Amino acid sequence: MKSPSRKIWEQPWGYAEGFIMAAGVLLSGLLLQFAAGNIETALFAFPVNTILGALFVAGILAVHFLAGKSRTVRWLSGVYATIPALAALLTLTVILGLVPQFPAGTGREQLPPHLFSSPGWYQMIHSWPFVLLCFYNLTILGLVTLRRTTRKQSWRDIGFYLNHLGLFIALLGGLLGSADMERLTMSIQEGQVEWRGTGKTGEIKELPVAIQLDTFMIEEYEPKLVIIENETGKMLPASRPETYMFEGVGKTARLADVTLEITDYLPHAAIFRDSTFLNVVPMMMEGATAAIRVKADKPGLGQPMEGWVSNGSYLFPHLLLQIDEETSVAMPLQEVRKYSSHVTVYTEAGSTKEAVIEVNRPLQVEDWMIYQYSYDDSKGKYSGTSVFELVRDPWLKTVYIGIFMLLAGALFLFIAGPKKSIS
Amino acid sequence: MTWDSFIYFAVGAVLLWGSGAALAYRSKHKLWPAWLTAAGLILFSLFIAGLWISLERPPLRTMGETRLWYSFFLPVAGLLTYLRWNYKWILSFTTVLSTVFIIVNIVKPDIHNKVLMPALQSPWFAPHVIIYMFSYAILGAATLVAIYYLAREKKITHKARLMEMTDSMVYAGIACITLGMLMGAIWAKVAWGHYWSWDPKETWAAATWLGYLLYIHYRLKKNASDKTSMILLVLAFILLQICWYGVNYLPSAQQSIHTYSS
Ligand code: HEM
Repeated sequence: MKSPSRKIWEQPWGYAEGFIMAAGVLLSGLLLQFAAGNIETALFAFPVNTILGALFVAGILAVHFLAGKSRTVRWLSGVYATIPALAALLTLTVILGLVPQFPAGTGREQLPPHLFSSPGWYQMIHSWPFVLLCFYNLTILGLVTLRRTTRKQSWRDIGFYLNHLGLFIALLGGLLGSADMERLTMSIQEGQVEWRGTGKTGEIKELPVAIQLDTFMIEEYEPKLVIIENETGKMLPASRPETYMFEGVGKTARLADVTLEITDYLPHAAIFRDSTFLNVVPMMMEGATAAIRVKADKPGLGQPMEGWVSNGSYLFPHLLLQIDEETSVAMPLQEVRKYSSHVTVYTEAGSTKEAVIEVNRPLQVEDWMIYQYSYDDSKGKYSGTSVFELVRDPWLKTVYIGIFMLLAGALFLFIAGPKKSIS
Repeated sequence: MTWDSFIYFAVGAVLLWGSGAALAYRSKHKLWPAWLTAAGLILFSLFIAGLWISLERPPLRTMGETRLWYSFFLPVAGLLTYLRWNYKWILSFTTVLSTVFIIVNIVKPDIHNKVLMPALQSPWFAPHVIIYMFSYAILGAATLVAIYYLAREKKITHKARLMEMTDSMVYAGIACITLGMLMGAIWAKVAWGHYWSWDPKETWAAATWLGYLLYIHYRLKKNASDKTSMILLVLAFILLQICWYGVNYLPSAQQSIHTYSS
């Protein structure tokens, strides 16, 4: 705290100067934002980001070695500067968490005409105040790490370096690397080969890898039954809809006051119906749907109703079993358990690789990571189209070094706890 | 085992934790309060295990399922703190808070639902959520201490010792928050292609993390005020609540990829 006899800016500096500095950084950011608008990330693509990063690190090293002993630099690498810097970053993070965010490409005129667009709050992470504040925090982080090397080392310093240097590396790598990151989507039909990806703004890019989709498969969970209100189609009970997942023929369940007994089940069924007749038969074919035969009873019902219920497919209609005037039994669309693409990947260098790509199991080919992204949901489980996302992030290794240092630092913190001399 | 049988396990566990907490005020030895609390934890974990088996997936997906772990870890945090720091009241604090979350789960039980969408089928899923729930419990316990402090600041005699305990809890808590967050980042890279997307849940996780970083750095100065520290803790815990479930109600989070609860 500032001692009563000390005027502002009079050394030694304390929290007051820290808050003024952080406010100054924010203000400079705001002025830049008003003058230049959002940061154009693409302008910082390689080699600009590498050069800027090297200059930044060199600058911090220079300050440390040339002026490390000055009072201002010692203050800048201390808690008095840290707290306001972190508090300012926290403030912007809270705003970022409250204000809806728009993708980087969104033009100024598409943003809500609002007070928040000028300071960049709708695209916070591309705004000058946010990025400058990150770099201000990075500066402190770099200087405090360097200053720590000048004092007598103890075992506790291991944790300090892992946390602070790790965060410095991860944060700097992430900030600079965002300019080099590429994300493309690629939609392929079974049996076809594709080597062109589409970017966020629709531009097409040719890749050094080609993907052939051999087969695409979707596994679904067992079908579910629900009770719906005929008039609105809403699931019942309205306050907390109940569902029953198929567990076997002969089972019974209670849903929204209705007792259901499962009397038959066809995992692959064809449905034929016209105004007078309905036939549900087992049929192993593309486009087949699941069908469950149920007997539904309800207090006040003369006699249980029995019939087929199905969620249909692109070929067949869905079937409801009407219980009474108000309610019916219905089968919602089945949820996807897993979807996987069997692919053959060809590289420009001439190598060929067969692999399976699933959600949570991406495939790495040269610089690209290939992710299972989506499929043709109008065809559901019979989709013959698989959509991939291809991601290239040359800075990932740098960020991971930082992340693993931080992981080790956190373990250290957990085991070592706070310094005892605090109290 | 389904949510229908939860109430029996919950009542049993709360009775055991309650008697442990009550005994802590009476007995000179830590043995009995500790054993009773542990017995309650065993009973409670039987339910979690049974639910896990019957769901055929880790019970960590829905809000109610995370509340379940939270009510489990609070007495764990209370017990560890009691054993290490000897404060009699900590067990009753954590028991009461845990009971609140148990009651929420009884009044608003989850639906038995086996579905686990592909993105959640990952070896990172369980450690990521469990470690987060554990850190929330420790930090919840630390917040109880902070409220205790702020409510009766004048009457507390061993302030330094209380602060030392709070620091320990926050260090353990932020260590686990950091681990949970980084595991989440590594998992996000594998599942969604990027380790950090500023999705609303991630943004509030960052805000929470910054809140606790403020606390530990502020405490490094010898002249730090105890009261300000405790207020910081309460504020950071509010950020944590927003991150945990508050985001579901924020307009900014309507497209969040992290809301699985419905
Ligand atoms: C991963 C996040 C971080 C963690 C876990 C962390 C943890 C710590 C810990 C435990 C200490 C005390 C070290 C000791 O005395 O042994 C410390 C000191 C310090 N940290 Fe951090 N910190 C983090 C990020 C930051 C950031 C972002 C800044 C600055 C913007 C910062 C600035 C400082 C400063 C100035 C000190 C005091 C160093 C000294 O007086 O020697 N830290 N930090």
